[in-house]
Amino acid sequence: MSVEAEPVPLPAPPLRHRRWIPVAALAVVLAAVTSGGYLTADALGEVQGGAVAVNASVRVTPFPGWELAGRSSDPDRIRLTSGSTSLDVAALPFDGTDVDLLRQYVDNILEPDAEQFRVSEEVEPVRLASGLTGSRIAYVGLFGDVQAPIEGEVTAVVSPSGQGVIFDGWAPAGQLQFEIDEIDAMIDRAEIA
Amino acid sequence: MSERRGGRFATEPQFVRMPRNWGRKTSLFQWRQPAFWLYAVIVVVTAVYTISQQQLFQKLSPSGWALSWGLLILYGLPLFLAIYLLDLYEREPMSLVLGALVWGGVAATVLAGIANEGWGLVVAHLGGPVFAAEWTAALTAPFVEETVKVAGVILIYLIARDEMDDMMDGFVYGAMVGLGFTLVEDVFYFIAIFGGSPGGVLAGFYVRVVSSGFYGHVLYTGVAGMGVAYFVSRRGEVAFGRRLAVALGLFGAAVAAHFLWNSPFLNFFPSSVNTFGDWVRIPFAAAVKGAPLLLFVVVMVRLARRRERMWLETALRSEVDTPWLSEIELRVLLDPSVRRRSRREMRARAGEAAERLLKRLQKEQVNLAMIRTRVASDDDPALVRQRALCGSLRDALLSMPGAALAATRREG
Repeated sequence: MSVEAEPVPLPAPPLRHRRWIPVAALAVVLAAVTSGGYLTADALGEVQGGAVAVNASVRVTPFPGWELAGRSSDPDRIRLTSGSTSLDVAALPFDGTDVDLLRQYVDNILEPDAEQFRVSEEVEPVRLASGLTGSRIAYVGLFGDVQAPIEGEVTAVVSPSGQGVIFDGWAPAGQLQFEIDEIDAMIDRAEIA
Repeated sequence: MSERRGGRFATEPQFVRMPRNWGRKTSLFQWRQPAFWLYAVIVVVTAVYTISQQQLFQKLSPSGWALSWGLLILYGLPLFLAIYLLDLYEREPMSLVLGALVWGGVAATVLAGIANEGWGLVVAHLGGPVFAAEWTAALTAPFVEETVKVAGVILIYLIARDEMDDMMDGFVYGAMVGLGFTLVEDVFYFIAIFGGSPGGVLAGFYVRVVSSGFYGHVLYTGVAGMGVAYFVSRRGEVAFGRRLAVALGLFGAAVAAHFLWNSPFLNFFPSSVNTFGDWVRIPFAAAVKGAPLLLFVVVMVRLARRRERMWLETALRSEVDTPWLSEIELRVLLDPSVRRRSRREMRARAGEAAERLLKRLQKEQVNLAMIRTRVASDDDPALVRQRALCGSLRDALLSMPGAALAATRREG
């Protein structure tokens, strides 16, 4: 004679997997916030890929995401932008060294237009992919009516033929660090006759 | 005796719904929680960037970098303690508090930096470079930074759900995330924006800490954290829709305050600082943008503290007039300033040892409330042990010369 035990209902399966749901949702939100801007910007329109001529002797190839935002003359100058970051490239005949050109640009162009202007103490020598050498400094200051501080990096190059080129990459404070590699790469690949 | 107390506790009206896990301590290191691993992976990956950035700053300006951190520790340490001690009765576990600080300083700063740049592209696409130069900070940072910071509060909750009992807990974790964020951001500003020289660092400290230190990320994320805490701690008490509305409303308030700070609206900051008057104007300009949220937070924190006080009273009401707690002692416990005064008086009357003993007794009486809230029965061993501990501490205090008078005054 046997006594059949009444079947005990099994406990509900562990809901451990449910712990993943809010975590996964949070991860998706963080991924969307960090990458969403780039994806949206791409969707809004891509930039042309070819080289941009500053004048007959100087050409710069914008990285993807950079676009030609302006052009002026006397001296010949273009502005490339990527979001809030800009790279101004100016080309002019110059009889002097790249350090002289750099100093003149800082003294005559940047400093008169700036408040609380500061320049890095050391001038960094640079060498472009073409073999040309130049000089580079970093700066920070308040410019014009723009309330946010601007930080920038100026590179001056003078070719043996006397073609002086100024590359001024700038952005609102805090933003330049995210674009500086692309700016340096565009400068490195610039074609200067 | 326990039955009598149990009966009183059961029959007295419950005006405040007690949190079930008030007083429970959980560590950050919850190896089985997926949220912990998401937290850990993000912090480790972003720490690589944060460390390299700090190394760069240190290389660029060793003295400025050291001065920056020295000044920020002077500012951050008291603020850390003030936030931590805001929670009068149930201090949050230190590992979780530090976890929140690290999220703000490491993960949130790096994620926000990447995201701000991306959304800055969108602003520039839509508004052009001139518009972007003036408005990017207002249109990107408030949304991006508040999101990545409040994500840290949510992660802390998902790691240790029992720890977020009330809005005050959310404020503490949120403010800690904000403090971590602002410390690392300030170092960046001192070096990259204010030049990194000792003079520049001091100028930056004046502008960003002395003039504006009461406003900013600590408040923003504190408010957003209160929203998270409200949403998760009022389950079963408040309808889902209302909890969601309050949480989103507080997050929106944080975003709006941040937007106001970054935007050109109500901007009374001097365009350049040349005279003494310009320097004096900076804190006033900061107050115009920051004071409204500060006032709002003060009100919210006071309300949250009042609620915690009601919890403590409800939890200890059934323990009153026993060998381990008197009515007067309960009243003293409920008011932090009276608690401090009682210890000062004890010190004057019976010396430092008596003051230390009274402090320990008060702490254990608060712990008694914590245990009371999480045990089911009135004769639970943990509760019985805690009562015995409080009773013995009280006996020891009463036996000290000079201490008896204060401790027995209630009897008269």
